[in-house]
Parts: sequence; C-alpha cells; structure tokens
Amino acid sequence: MKTYKQPSAVGRFGEFGGMYVSETLMPLLLNLDKSYKKIQKDKKFKKELNDLFKNYVGRPSSLHYAKNLSKYINGPKIYFKRDELNHTGAHKINNCLGQILLAKKMGKTRIIAETGAGQHGVATATVCALFGLPCYIYMGSKDIERQKPNVFRMKLLGATIIPVESGSKSLKDAMNEALRDWIKNVRDTFYIIGSTAGPHPYPKMVRDFQSVIGKEAREQILKVEKKLPDYLIACVGGGSNAMGLFYPFLNDKKVKIIGVEAAGRGAKTEETAATMTSGTPGILHGSFSYVLQDNDGQIKEAHSISAGLDYPGVGPEHSYLKDIKRVKYYGITDKEALEAFQTCSKLEGIIPALEPSHALAYLIKAFKNKHKNKVVILNLCGRGDKDLFTAAKAIGFDADE
Amino acid sequence: MRMSNNLDSLPKKKILSLFMTCGFPTLNQSKKIFIEMLSHQPDIIEFGLPFSDPMADGPIIQEANKLALRSKLSTQQSLDLIKYLSKSKNNTSFIIMCYLNTVRKFGLNKFIKNIKSIVDGIIIVDLPFEEEGAIKKSLSKNNIHLIKLISPMTDKKRSQKLLKNSKGFIYYISATGITGSNKLDYKEINKNVKSIKKMSSVPVLVGFGIKSKKDVIDISKKTNADGVIIGSALIQKYFDIKMDFNKYLKSLKKFILEVKI
Repeated sequence: MKTYKQPSAVGRFGEFGGMYVSETLMPLLLNLDKSYKKIQKDKKFKKELNDLFKNYVGRPSSLHYAKNLSKYINGPKIYFKRDELNHTGAHKINNCLGQILLAKKMGKTRIIAETGAGQHGVATATVCALFGLPCYIYMGSKDIERQKPNVFRMKLLGATIIPVESGSKSLKDAMNEALRDWIKNVRDTFYIIGSTAGPHPYPKMVRDFQSVIGKEAREQILKVEKKLPDYLIACVGGGSNAMGLFYPFLNDKKVKIIGVEAAGRGAKTEETAATMTSGTPGILHGSFSYVLQDNDGQIKEAHSISAGLDYPGVGPEHSYLKDIKRVKYYGITDKEALEAFQTCSKLEGIIPALEPSHALAYLIKAFKNKHKNKVVILNLCGRGDKDLFTAAKAIGFDADE
Repeated sequence: MRMSNNLDSLPKKKILSLFMTCGFPTLNQSKKIFIEMLSHQPDIIEFGLPFSDPMADGPIIQEANKLALRSKLSTQQSLDLIKYLSKSKNNTSFIIMCYLNTVRKFGLNKFIKNIKSIVDGIIIVDLPFEEEGAIKKSLSKNNIHLIKLISPMTDKKRSQKLLKNSKGFIYYISATGITGSNKLDYKEINKNVKSIKKMSSVPVLVGFGIKSKKDVIDISKKTNADGVIIGSALIQKYFDIKMDFNKYLKSLKKFILEVKI
C-alpha cells in the first residue's frame, strides 16, 4: 500500500469531502484553512497544546488490559484506550483545545458549537471557561431532554444553550443552526465543530487534533505487547474518536480496522443511524460523504439510543476508508449496545458511554470464541455518567428520586 | 438549443426578482401563487426547490421548505410545475434556486434536460466557485446561466476570480446573514456594489433582508445596485395572516404591486 496521504489540498479524501457551503462562509473557511496550516508549523502552539493535554486533560490516557472481558469473550486480548478518563469524560476535549487555541490566534471573540450527546458541548463550554470566551451551544430539544446532566454541566460552565426545535431536534439540526449562526456572525465568531464532519478543513483538523489517541495507543501497545495490535475497534457517529485512533495506524496494513455504527432498531429499518451500512453518497453540512437520504436527496432523520451517534451523515474520511476497504464498518442495534453497556460495567468496573458501548457490543458479538492470541484495542471514548437516565429507562429501572 | 436567454435582456435599472418555494404551502396552492406572481410580470422569478436541510436559509424559508415537503413533494413535481408555468412566462426570467444534493441525486444531465429552454439561470446555494467546474460547463452548453453570489466577506481578489465571465446577474448578499435577516447597511452595500460593477458588466441585484417598499426604494436611491431580490418577505405574509390561503393571495398581490417601483 502507498503511504496514506489524505486529504488533498482542497480537502478531498478521494472523491469525498470538499467545501459545499454558501459564499458567505467560503472566505472564512479558506482563511481558517490558511490559519490552520500556519499553526501546524508553530512550535509554540504545539507546546501549548501538549501542556494542556498533559496538565488539563490528564493525557496520556491509559491503555487498560480488560482481563475480565477478555476472559468472558474467550477470544483476543482486549485493551481499552481509556479516553473516558479525560477531563470532561470523553475524547471531545482533545479537539476543543486545539480549536480554541486556533480561535485565539485568529482573534475570534465568540465561540459556537453544536452538540448531540452533550459531550462536545461540555468540552467546548469547558475550554471557553478556561480561555474566557463567550460560548453558545446549539442542541436539539430532544437531546436536551435525554442528556440533562450535560445540559446542567454546560450551564455551570457559563455556556448559553440554544435549543433547536427544527427537524428531528437532534444533532443534524443543531449543526444546521450552528452553521446559520456562523453565517450571521462571520466576523467575530469561531465555530468549533466537534466531529470529523463538515466542510474542509474541519474533517482534517479534527482528525489531526484527535490523532493524539492513536499516537499514544501505538506507543503504549508496542511497550506492553512488543507488537502492533491485530485489530482496532471504535464507534462511528460523525467519526472523530475513530479517526483519532485509526489515523496513526492506516499505513500499518497488518492492523485490521473496524468502525461500528449505530443501527438503532436495525440497519434495514427506517430507524437507524448506520450511515455507511444503509446510506448513499450525498452532500450534508458542507461535505460529500455517505448520508441517509431518500430518492430525492432529502436527508432522513437518524435514530439511535445514543445521542452522540444519532446523525444521518458521517465524516468524509470514513466514506473514503470504506470505499478503499481499509476500514470495515458494521452496525450495532440499540438493544445490543445496551447489553454491552451492562456487561462492561459488571465485568470491568467501567461504565462506558452508550457510544463506545456499540463498539463493545460488536467486539463481544464478533470475537466470541474467536481470534485467540490476537490483540485488540478498543477506543473507550466516553464514560456513561451522562447516559444513566437513558439507560435506566431502557432497562426498566426507576432512577427518579 | 434555444437562441435567447431572458436574463440577457434584463432592464437596466430597478430589476425586481421574486423568490418563492415550490410546493409551498401545497402543490396546488403553490401553482396559484406562482400564477399570481407571474401575472405581474416581474423581471425574474426564482423557484426555490425545497430541501430538508436548507442551511443557508432563515426560519421563514425553512418553514416553507418544511411545509412543501410535508406531502413528499418530489424534485420532478417541482420541475413539472416550473415547466407548466413557463408556457406563460413571456419576458420574465426563470431562475431555480436550490441545494446541490437535490441536483446531484436527481442526476445533473436529467436535471438539465428537464429545465433547458425553460429556465434561464440557476443558483446552487452550496456550490462555491471552487467546486463548480463540470456543472458550470454542462449548464453553459445548454445556455443556462450559473448565477454567482458575492457576500460582504468576499474580498476583491476572490471577487475578481468569481466574476470572470459572469452571466445573467450577480446576487449580492446584502447582510452577512442568512435569508430574511434584518439589518441593511446601505453604505456598505453601495461600496461593495460599486466595486463589483468595476469587475463585471452584468446587473447586480441585492438580496437578503429586503422586506418593504421602503427598502426597495432605498436600495434604488442610496446604492448603485440594479435591482432587488425579495423572498422571505413574500412568504412571511402567509404566516402573518394565519395561513388563510385566499387572504394570502390578496395580500401577496398587494405587496407585489407595492414593490414594483
């Protein structure tokens, strides 16, 4: 395989990606791209970011050998890359710190973001508090309802939450509204996109900031196992935690890579978020990628029990990796994810978020009694605190006082 | 191929372009709305093709899109509506305003086949200059002009690139905002329109945020622009009169007569 070098200068991953936005945003995106390129060469920026990673986030996150789960599956040796131990409880903070440093350098004075599960919203509100910038978070009203703890967290951190009532009232619609806000306030506002989605340069930039996950995991596994892993597994909504883990391994062709999508009530039903399993290529939120759409190109509403995966699109780099067959993508249903959520909690003493529970469910299902002597790294990208009420309701436990 | 394109013979000044979403509020009522609009012979009618995620549009046009899509309006139905109306278009130019995914999913060639010799121009909101290559070529082969948008954020260097060989008219986005925003800064509009006119000889129309007869007159008096585009304000009336369709048609008529200056 040739050395992996994506995207192109104009933000193409093969045919995917690009910049499909109105002329009001184009000059901003081009400017952002220029500023981002400049900052990548800036040693001071790198040092600043690394200091924050170490002292504010608590990086490197550990690589935990999940002995009990490995025994239970009776298959490979399973390691968790524990990004759920990060400050704010998920991988999202890695990207937010990178972007807010860039926003500062560009002289922007107002921050906006979209959020689904609330993890990206919390991470954005956190970095805004740290850097003293006003923060506006767009969040679908359906997600506000099912992610109440995170809503309160954001408020405590000083962010203003703007409920989004349009469409399916979840992540897709929150992103529409955030883009509209950006178009209206182009001069002073920086939009911190939380996933590897959206127009160029976001998919590349978010991947780069998240790739600290994969870089650390690579060093850590080489240290303990003296070899590269045989498999990487991560959940994919927009796809930032997955790209963060996968990217530093893409050139290692012996490492098999698996992305797990949320199939909701089933990838073949209308209530799914499995974009690459059930979707077709189209344009959503400024980039060309797989999307859930009808015959007229109208975007469908996604469904998943996990608010963070409840998105009818996916980052363009995942679409590319699927088409060149470097990464394989599978769907896991709400029910399977919920079971894995409980299994992991009981066996490892770690309550995972519903998002990585999808990756766990795939691992349990597909690796049971198989792939012995192999090594797997699973990205445990978020903790389950925020999902307790949703999970309790789904399992039938009365969690109200 | 037809020889003429109505956009090439737009009047010199006070050009009026009216935008309306196809299929809003229902397909049948939409037909009546367009017939009413067309009877006033505006210089341009812009047909908005409804899209589920109109990210460059404000709440009023979003709502219009939503209502139009309620009954699963297809792209073909919108194009057939435009075709039907084209029989009585006379000198009015027909423009389609849409998002790229609609065209892409329908198929570019099939799309062009449906609109050629009916539609004079097209605005694809989320198709920037950098991505337009093949689409522009196919359109121009069929004498359909790809209309360019210029925003207050577009600097001079970029404007020069965008405006090279521009045809039809230039759509100047009057406020850095989404459609239907409120503030109009005439000084800034005038400055930017003047600068566009130095780079291109086609008419410059100002859109976004034009709501009343006063706005139309002010644009004409205080700026160098050749005309205006009115969209959200036309649709807003429907919600103002609490969605009584017959009343809406009357108020639409009154409004169009007012803004024809």
